[in-house]
Amino acid sequence: MTSAASVMPGFMGMPVELRNIERELNSQLMVEQGRDKAPVQRVRMSNLVIYCGSLALAEAVAEQVPDVVMVHPARVLLLVADSAAPPGITAGVNVRCRLIAKELQACSEQVTLRAGEGMVDRLPFAVRALLIGDLPTNLWWATPQPPPMAGPLLFELAENAQQIMYDSIGWPQPALGVASTAAWLESVERTDALRWRVASDLNWRRLKYWRRMVAQALDPGSARGAAETVTEIQLEHGPHAVVQAWELASWLTTRLGWKVQGGKSHDNVEMVWRFIGPNGDTRVRIRRLDSGPAEIRRLRILNSLDGKPGAMNIVAEDSVRLSIQLEGVESAPRTMTLPTHLAAELVGRQLSDRDRDPVFHESMAVARVMAKSVLG
Amino acid sequence: MAFDPGTGVQKVLLPQPCILVIFGGDGDLSWRKLLPAVYNLNVDGALPSHFAVVCFGLASTKDELTLSNPDEYIRKRAKDGIQRFSRQPLDEGHWEDFSRALFFVPGSFNNAADYARLRAKLEAVDIQFGVPGSRVYYLSIPPQFVSMCVSQLRDARMVNDPDDEVRFTRTIVEKPIGRDLESARAVIKAVDQAFAESQTYRIDHYLGKETVQNLMVLRFANSIFEPLWNQKYIDHVQITVAEEEGLVRWDQSTSPPTMTASRVGYYEGVGALRDMVQNHILQILCTVAMEPPYSLDPDVVRDAKANVLHCLRPMTPEGVKTDVVRGQYIDGDEHGCLVPSYRHEVRRFFEQFPPEKRPSGWDNSVTETYVAMRVFIDNWRWSGVPFYLRTGKRLPKRSSEVAIQFRDVPSVLFNSRPEIPVDPTVLTIKVQPEEGLSMRIATKLPGPKVRIYPVKMEFNYASGFGATSPEAYERLVLDVMAGDATLFMRRDAVETAWQWVMPALEAWSRERVLNLPEYRAGTWGPVEADRLILADGRQWRTL
Repeated sequence: MTSAASVMPGFMGMPVELRNIERELNSQLMVEQGRDKAPVQRVRMSNLVIYCGSLALAEAVAEQVPDVVMVHPARVLLLVADSAAPPGITAGVNVRCRLIAKELQACSEQVTLRAGEGMVDRLPFAVRALLIGDLPTNLWWATPQPPPMAGPLLFELAENAQQIMYDSIGWPQPALGVASTAAWLESVERTDALRWRVASDLNWRRLKYWRRMVAQALDPGSARGAAETVTEIQLEHGPHAVVQAWELASWLTTRLGWKVQGGKSHDNVEMVWRFIGPNGDTRVRIRRLDSGPAEIRRLRILNSLDGKPGAMNIVAEDSVRLSIQLEGVESAPRTMTLPTHLAAELVGRQLSDRDRDPVFHESMAVARVMAKSVLG
Repeated sequence: MAFDPGTGVQKVLLPQPCILVIFGGDGDLSWRKLLPAVYNLNVDGALPSHFAVVCFGLASTKDELTLSNPDEYIRKRAKDGIQRFSRQPLDEGHWEDFSRALFFVPGSFNNAADYARLRAKLEAVDIQFGVPGSRVYYLSIPPQFVSMCVSQLRDARMVNDPDDEVRFTRTIVEKPIGRDLESARAVIKAVDQAFAESQTYRIDHYLGKETVQNLMVLRFANSIFEPLWNQKYIDHVQITVAEEEGLVRWDQSTSPPTMTASRVGYYEGVGALRDMVQNHILQILCTVAMEPPYSLDPDVVRDAKANVLHCLRPMTPEGVKTDVVRGQYIDGDEHGCLVPSYRHEVRRFFEQFPPEKRPSGWDNSVTETYVAMRVFIDNWRWSGVPFYLRTGKRLPKRSSEVAIQFRDVPSVLFNSRPEIPVDPTVLTIKVQPEEGLSMRIATKLPGPKVRIYPVKMEFNYASGFGATSPEAYERLVLDVMAGDATLFMRRDAVETAWQWVMPALEAWSRERVLNLPEYRAGTWGPVEADRLILADGRQWRTL
């Protein structure tokens, strides 16, 4: 390794040689503790290994790390692939403490490893040496590349991981990404308690309140027959959020018991699928808006309400409100207020959530068929 | 610590005035461990009031000027070792006090005249420091010299009667004690000819570590553990001694990297089974698995440990194939630097010697740098509980621990849903580098849903008690001065341990394999070791 790099970005913290990382962490903790004070509490619920494919990405992720560890204290190992870095692997450490009670400080720790040209495949060695035993290990693949396309690096980094977390926002080839990821999920997850491993898409977690709203809207208790009469689903999304829309569509069609018949992409702006449902042919349209935030903006469900053609419009009013408006019947719009989750909080909550989500899997299986039909 | 078996009252054993005579006193172990350990004892005020250290051996320097003043030579070397390796930083005041009582007698282990000079020096130091003639001979020398040294000591009348408590003579014998059962018996016999068993302290420094001693306290001073410490509640035990270092240190600043230190000369042909399992790991295993001794009297504790060795299921040639995996590291990574394979290191080491001095097979070593095994203790307490042992060089980190994994809860309630993992409860005793213990338990995550998450409760000696724990050697040297043999191996334990590993050594020597299972330097061992434990529905822990 190179000696402590003089050109190390600030977010990496105190430069340190790889062999001295634990010692440096201990000495920073001693400094935080101060003389003659109660021992600081080293808090860590898991090992969090974060892989970033570029320095710019790493800088953005590093900004989120303090908020992530507020929700889920962890030993953070931030890995950065940076072809412009000096040769070798350079390391830096940060210790962050906060007062949790009178004179009691809780401290979390971050180790950043930056791999220069040709050294990325050596990162798993450094990770093995820094993991803490008896704690779950999470791998956050914080790079806009579908995990199955990452090659052996992800395989090696994931060898001890109980959760692989990725984010399908902004995938460059969405159909290919969805198809390969859905297939990959089947092979990467392990359900024996011994070698437990799940994969989680942060985009799926973002859909939590959309799914709740839709489930309530189509619930037979509040709208009898609404679910059975759905004929078409239309989704509009901002740029880079096509996979999010796709996941919502595949979830909804799975719940409605539809089967994919075929699909087409039109000028990379709209995708249309034909389905067959319990009552005949149905359709899903996903359309990209020219601008706006990277998220679903509107979901329109065409169906019959009280025996007459109608529709449900669920719209993201802003970042904290979803509203539903029924067409074809007299009713006032209903709104749902969403908790304000920072991006970091979303990650933090996912880290503690190691349960396998069978609904996600069913949805991804349908998404895979949808992707294949678009790819031809 | 020892108890009077008659009264049950603890006998307070204090270190008695003596001279510590270190054979091989300017060697590597003395430089790194022994002299810094004695220095720390001096700083802590733990040494007897009348005490001195005399080092004896062939000086490793050829510098005439240095050798013209051997005492200054050893003081310089000791100071260097203390500055580099001591637990406590060098304090000039303490150093001055310590160095005044530090001497060196250059000499050959096989030269009677040198022993006469050593004896004269010891007698002079006795007078200078008011020592009554008591000696602790620390044999920090290769095993082939042990028998020679003890014979010379006996012939030079430097060994007192074992019943002489005022002018006691004790000897500390370093591992390895032999390289197989036969040679171990030969070493034991040779030492026996000069020293009584009560004067012989066979050291295994692992037993001097705080956490290994704490194992007994944990088991027998807490009411919750001992009732669970058996086959009813324990699923399995894993004992790991992982070393990050290989057999050669490379200077990576040169191109190509150059060899700066090598232990190949010692290790080649010895291997992990002899170097680690036969002694350290089996001794730890005994401490974990022994029955409660009825007192802390040294022989009572050592009886309890020896009984574990007697209950180890003997290895058969078939068992060696199914229950033991050996491996050897190939090139890989250490702290971001490429490191070569063990074979390469062996070749580079022996290339320095003329062909006639190179051992057979030097260019294609089949010495194991890793060994993993499944072991059973066939007694009532441990029936059916596997003990998985593993040790290796060039693993991802230096870490030694004992992990007790408790049985899973029944598959009802929280352990009934396959989509929710429930990690088993594990008690871990950390031996090094950090000493402490931890316990992993399942807890409910806050929130309306019942979600289970493993948390780890930890106790760390350094942060918990605020001060650094004494090094194992400090404790053990002090015990010898006090005449407490509890933490030392008795001859029967050494022989039984060798007896138990012999089938593996014999099977391997018969096999004559060309290649061992490989693992990349910086990984957790060969895939065959993973298969060994996975076949039982278990897995190696992440350390």
